[in-house]
Amino acid sequence: MSYAYLFKYIIIGDTGVGKSCLLLQFTDKRFQPVHDLTIGVEFGARMITIDGKQIKLQIWDTAGQEAFRSITRSYYRGAAGALLVYDITRRETFNHLTTWLDDARQHSNSNMVIMLIGNKSDLESRREVKKEEGEAFAREHGLVFMETSAKTAANVEEAFINTAKEIYEKIQEGVFDINNEANGIKIGPQHSPTNPSLPGAGGAGGSQGSSCC
Amino acid sequence: MEYFRSGLKSVLGAPAPGTQPTGAETVERLVSRVSTSTLLEDRRDACRALKALSRKYRLEVGAQGMDVLRQVLELDRSDCEIIGYCLDTLCNITSKEVFEEESESNLNIKVNVGEQFTEMFIKNAENVTLVLSFLEEYDFRVRWPAVKLLTSLLASKPKEIQDVILVSPMGVSKLMDLLVESREVIRNDALLLLINLTKSNANIQKIVAFENAFDRLFDVIREEGFTDGGIVVEDCMLLMLNLLKNNTSNINFFKEGSYIQKLAPMFILPDNLEEVGWSPQKVSNMHCVLQLVRTLVSPTNPVQIVTSCQKTMRNANLLEALCNILMASGVPADILTETINTVGEVIRGNLTNQEYFAGVMAPSNPPRPAIVVLLMSMVNEKQPFTLRCAVLYCFQCFLFKNEIGQEQVVQTLLPSSTNSTLTTGQLLCGGLFSADSLSCWFSSVALSHTLIENPAQREQLLRVLLATNLGSQPVSLLHQCAVFLQQTTKLQAKIGILMLLAMWMSHCPQAVQVFLNVPGAMAFLTAQTSASEFDNNEEILQGLCAFLMGLCVAFNDNSVQNYSKENLSQLIEKRVGTETYCTKLGEISRHEVYAKAAKQPQIRAKHSSELLLEFEFCKLFKALEPVIIKALGVQRDLSNGMSELSLSEHENALLLQYKELIRDQDKKLQDVHKSLSNLQRENQDLKGQIEELRQTNSQLHDQNTLLKAQMQLSGTAVAEPGNDKVKQLEAELVEKDAELERLRKDQDDLLELLTDQDTKLNAFKNRLKELGETVEDGDSEDNSAGSDNEV
Repeated sequence: MSYAYLFKYIIIGDTGVGKSCLLLQFTDKRFQPVHDLTIGVEFGARMITIDGKQIKLQIWDTAGQEAFRSITRSYYRGAAGALLVYDITRRETFNHLTTWLDDARQHSNSNMVIMLIGNKSDLESRREVKKEEGEAFAREHGLVFMETSAKTAANVEEAFINTAKEIYEKIQEGVFDINNEANGIKIGPQHSPTNPSLPGAGGAGGSQGSSCC
Repeated sequence: MEYFRSGLKSVLGAPAPGTQPTGAETVERLVSRVSTSTLLEDRRDACRALKALSRKYRLEVGAQGMDVLRQVLELDRSDCEIIGYCLDTLCNITSKEVFEEESESNLNIKVNVGEQFTEMFIKNAENVTLVLSFLEEYDFRVRWPAVKLLTSLLASKPKEIQDVILVSPMGVSKLMDLLVESREVIRNDALLLLINLTKSNANIQKIVAFENAFDRLFDVIREEGFTDGGIVVEDCMLLMLNLLKNNTSNINFFKEGSYIQKLAPMFILPDNLEEVGWSPQKVSNMHCVLQLVRTLVSPTNPVQIVTSCQKTMRNANLLEALCNILMASGVPADILTETINTVGEVIRGNLTNQEYFAGVMAPSNPPRPAIVVLLMSMVNEKQPFTLRCAVLYCFQCFLFKNEIGQEQVVQTLLPSSTNSTLTTGQLLCGGLFSADSLSCWFSSVALSHTLIENPAQREQLLRVLLATNLGSQPVSLLHQCAVFLQQTTKLQAKIGILMLLAMWMSHCPQAVQVFLNVPGAMAFLTAQTSASEFDNNEEILQGLCAFLMGLCVAFNDNSVQNYSKENLSQLIEKRVGTETYCTKLGEISRHEVYAKAAKQPQIRAKHSSELLLEFEFCKLFKALEPVIIKALGVQRDLSNGMSELSLSEHENALLLQYKELIRDQDKKLQDVHKSLSNLQRENQDLKGQIEELRQTNSQLHDQNTLLKAQMQLSGTAVAEPGNDKVKQLEAELVEKDAELERLRKDQDDLLELLTDQDTKLNAFKNRLKELGETVEDGDSEDNSAGSDNEV
């Protein structure tokens, strides 16, 4: 069960867009058509492999309701990745994206990778938001974009894994300070930060090692 | 005291000779100095003095100084010293504790001043945020009192503070950063603060966990030397317990974060433990760790999580370590008891873990399975009561959903096994018929757990034969149970045996057949069930007898003459009466011991006499009570002359009847729903009103406190002269009124006189005119006009 890296994710977006279902599909590979409203936040985890390395994803699924907004904000800072989800069959969930994005940018660390997700792609007949619109929004705000279906599992794996890849690349480039746990990244037990063979640690660790205390 | 005075003198200047300023006056002057002084040094000195007075004159300092102190926190935040004084002062006045100095000078105010000042302080949520922001200041003089102030506020108003911290940005993270604080006193106090903060608030618990709490806590625990560490280790464990208790999300996080593996070093007992012994702190630490393990695998958690935690615990060798403690010598009894409970829950319902446990051998001579050694303690009167309960619980957990384990236990009782060594079965049989009623109860319950959801073992157990006396025919175990039931005089033993028989005979016609053939058994049940009076707790005995009779009807294959289904239900109807029977049966679930036992699988009792019913039996009873009632009902209808042919018609009628019933109930349900929503609405309104009233009330409270304090200041002399003056003025007013009245009357009289004079004057004038005298007209006009006006 050992891992090279551990990434913390959050899933955000309006209520009812399918955040919990995405998580359930990703961690348990099942779909629950009737799901209770999430209260506060719920936790889920899974191991993935990138570049031959085991990466543990710890995912916090937040409540979309306005009432929980101040609670869920507490999770922004410590997360390395965020899935910002809207529902392609409900235009208003797309319209609210700017608010979500502002909120996330304001409370998170600046390197957080945000993936925009248009969920419920299986409901083509009820589509209200065109795929192009999602793409345009993502381009405009510098996000990665994907349409998924938590029901058919289409693109669900990819959404989580691509986000992880992006974070992984940022680590390689030395953008993330991996010694600071507040960034939502942890190095696995067998990779101590002083290990010179660790990719990326040579550049990033050397210059930023002093910031850990 | 002298030191204070001299200190005060330097701040306030020497008092005028001969007059000693009261505490209130001093406080007043200090407060005004803090708010008006332009020099930081002066404000700082005044704050220091206020801090010194804030215990003895807490009310005065709080009532007059709170606003000023708050101001200082905002405006002077660059000066660590003054902020420190302010925070300390606020800490004192909001403290729940009653200070020694305070009580001697105490006023006759009985209310909890600290709580009220807390309420006043946190009314503005920004104040709490302000205090939170001081946690970021590294200076010891600020950071430490800020932690203490938050702790004090939290002690009085936990819910309110939790809500404020939850919504204040980064509130929890600031607290979490304190866990890596190098100055231990701050770290330790922060730990206590977090323990109180995370109590029964799942949202805060989750954020704290998200902020890497478990990593930090395990770091502290390691630094402090694991279970050999001091009370700080215990505090760390308590915080973890708070984070995990009933919080599935956090338990999942704990498991996924590989923290279970980090628990393993806590269970390693040093080799020289027997020489050094167990310090009280080590016992406490150990208790906490065991609690932690149990929280993860508690039967109240979702099965999926429990199973995966159990698996991880086995793989991390935690189960092995626990079993080692179980078999180690010199372990204190309460730790041993808790370890047994913990092992139970770690193996409960998990076949692999149960198999591991079955294979654990005790280091005795000859080596015996750990289970046997534990059961020996269970049927041993000299062992502590809680330990014996724990063994039973552990044994139950071992058998829970474990068909193989159940079979193995029953196997040891069968004639084929010619084992000379002591076995579980033999221990249980010995306990079953022992003179110690508690042993009997424990053994019955333990044995009944080999039969749960396992029809094969019910039949296997029927094959067990006992040699009662030398030379006499061996009798079956069930037969002996039924005989023992009639012979023993002890309630606890009877109830134990009855529960065992109930488990055995349910869904097992062969067992019913054997029981019905025991002479006197049915008569005993009938006598108990039809008894009209009962002593303490005997209603349970009678209810159990009724239950067993019912099982004899419901699971009867009509193979025993005179005791067919029909015969038995007639017996119940005629000898007991259906209604009485149902009442007796219902007596069980109405009893408080039923409610207590049905709550959780673990046996929780303070005293041995409380042990009557048991969890799994309660489940059985709940499932079969309706079955019995139905069996009796149908039987009665048949005996009323319903032929088989008319049955379908009869069924039809029944169906219609039920339909009617359902329709009726549906309507009722709707009505109830309606009234429920009405009531809810009303409730909502009332809640609103209460909230309003509460607010008004709290405002009044505050005003009251302030007024009280002010009253102290101004003394009581002011009111009295005012009162007197009013009275005097009132008296004067009455006097003046009377005088005015008198004057009015005089005036009236005079006016009348004047009119008279006027008429006379006119008469004279006229006469003068007649007599030819000249009279000035103007004069007369004036006169008449004047009189007109006046009349």
